[in-house]
Amino acid sequence: MGRFRRSVLWAALLAILLLTGLSIYSAFLGPERAQAFFNSLPLAVYWFALIALLAVGIVVFRRLLRVPALLLMHLGSILVVLGAMWGSNSGHALAKRLLGIDKIPEGQMAILEGTQENRVFVTDSNSTRELPFFVRLRDFRMEYYQPGQLSVRSETGQSGRVPAEAGQTVSLDEGRVAVTIRRVFQNFRMDLQGDERVAYDLPGGSNPALEVAIEKPGEPPARRYVFERAPGHENPNDSVRLSYFRAVRDYISELEIVQNGKVVAAKHIEVNHPLHYGGYHLYQHSYGQDKLGEYTVLMVVSDSGLNLVHSGYAMLLAGVFWHFWGRRILVALQGRRTTAGEVAG
Amino acid sequence: MVIKDTIQGLFIYLTIAAYAAAFVTMVLGRRRTGNLLFVAGFLAAVLAYVYRWYDVRHVPLQNLFEVFLFLGVACYPISWFSGRVLRIGGPWADALIGAIVLFPAGFVFHAEPMQLPPALQSWLFAPHVMVYMLAYVFMAKAMFQAIAQLAGHGPAVGATGLAPEPATYELIAIGFPLLTLGLILGSWWGKLAWGNYWGWDPKEMWSLASWLVYVGYFHWRYMFGTKRPAANSLWALAGMAVIVITLLWVNLSRLFPGLHSYAT
Ligand code: HEM
Repeated sequence: MGRFRRSVLWAALLAILLLTGLSIYSAFLGPERAQAFFNSLPLAVYWFALIALLAVGIVVFRRLLRVPALLLMHLGSILVVLGAMWGSNSGHALAKRLLGIDKIPEGQMAILEGTQENRVFVTDSNSTRELPFFVRLRDFRMEYYQPGQLSVRSETGQSGRVPAEAGQTVSLDEGRVAVTIRRVFQNFRMDLQGDERVAYDLPGGSNPALEVAIEKPGEPPARRYVFERAPGHENPNDSVRLSYFRAVRDYISELEIVQNGKVVAAKHIEVNHPLHYGGYHLYQHSYGQDKLGEYTVLMVVSDSGLNLVHSGYAMLLAGVFWHFWGRRILVALQGRRTTAGEVAG
Repeated sequence: MVIKDTIQGLFIYLTIAAYAAAFVTMVLGRRRTGNLLFVAGFLAAVLAYVYRWYDVRHVPLQNLFEVFLFLGVACYPISWFSGRVLRIGGPWADALIGAIVLFPAGFVFHAEPMQLPPALQSWLFAPHVMVYMLAYVFMAKAMFQAIAQLAGHGPAVGATGLAPEPATYELIAIGFPLLTLGLILGSWWGKLAWGNYWGWDPKEMWSLASWLVYVGYFHWRYMFGTKRPAANSLWALAGMAVIVITLLWVNLSRLFPGLHSYAT
């Protein structure tokens, strides 16, 4: 191997080792600082050098060019790094300066139910910018796993859990305490009728609650209400601690994209199912409620460079599987064919 | 340390006992008995896994308990495949790997079933984790071959196949595409679930580092071939060390107070 080619290989090995070391280092920084670190100027120099090194490698090692699997792996690596650079904040700034493409790299938008919005809050620059289209929120809702769970903890520290269904009982401390669910409310309300307080379910809203009876030997059953939304809301005289928990199964925003007053796209987005429109992906991110009503919070991410990254991934995968698995499988199959041929012959 | 006095726990302890017995008998040279014990352990592990699947009603790969249980199942088929197809011996090491990975599942991790939070409800999630676990078993086997090489053994105890150095390379060559696939599936899933294909999270940084160690290994071995077998083996050991940290980072990070960590 020539001296130049040997130096290229050494440089590649050092570049790989350096990136390994920097990855480990940044694991101790936490995500925000790690991201800032890998987007800093010295690292930009590193990324360019890595691309150059890969390109030089492809040029000076004929096998990297001639053997498709090796080419796919190394070209794929170049594409992933290029795509990531293109999609970074600096990449966006560069695209604006050179090509006049002015996209928001990443931000968040809050939309009230029934309204439309195009303003995006950009966390990095602490500023507000506007999308070239409006996003309307028709509806936001959460779905829960059914049924929820009632957890009970006794004075002695024993605890138990049951599905939140009428008739379910938790029995603790060798039967000295029993908690039985009497009713399940979707939207708990209570009214005074005469002297008596009467609990009822009012369809439409959401204030999930359970009515339970706490039974101890020699005492009349005590009636209690457990509210999902107010976990700390307890009767201080109670010897048992109760809590009602429902696990969220999904957050769903029904979105419409509005451009020039017309609906041009629509999708019910949920976690893992974003909406792609006009060079942006819109993700379900968070939600909230204020005096004007319920709102959803979307994460808005520019799709710049994404195609490059995905193509790079595909090439890398194809190359790696072909190089390490494909050839072995082929050899094994050929071996079997020859053996079978020998036996037959 | 918690002992699981459930059917689930019983299956796990049975598996650990069978794997450990398989390891001991194989090292003592009783290959046939060892193999029978290994298979018995595997069947118990399958029962434990199927039981878990039935219990939680989703592919059990959600938390460390389930992931380690899967590792305990995977080590036998991979051992069989390595012996038959790759001609790489050392099933004793595979039985040992099985007993080791099931130990935390049996005694350390909590097995409380949980409902899948929205982010984990993706078809990419199970393949992402599963492929990673298979890769890890191959890399763990590679580490044992590397140790055998460093210890100056010929082919691993009782084996007829490849010598330890080429066996290390073969195992890493089989495991690396899986490692790459795991990394890319994770990145793709991250994009769909959180909006970014790279989140710069410590666990992601460690997983990138472990992938890079093997990329380094390939280039090193291309440069020096088998001229420096000890150095080749050290790469394989380093790779496994970084994998173990990646896998357990959520737990290990508690050693570094103030560090961001997230639940699996
Ligand atoms: C930094 C610049 C790089 C250079 C100059 C370089 C160069 C090379 C060369 C010359 C080979 C030997 C090919 C042969 O078998 O004839 C090789 C193999 C390989 N490279 Fe790279 N490489 C670089 C970066 C990378 C990166 C980032 C990856 C990540 C995917 C990678 C993955 C591989 C793999 C998997 C092999 C196959 C090794 C084997 O067959 O054992 N390389 N590289």
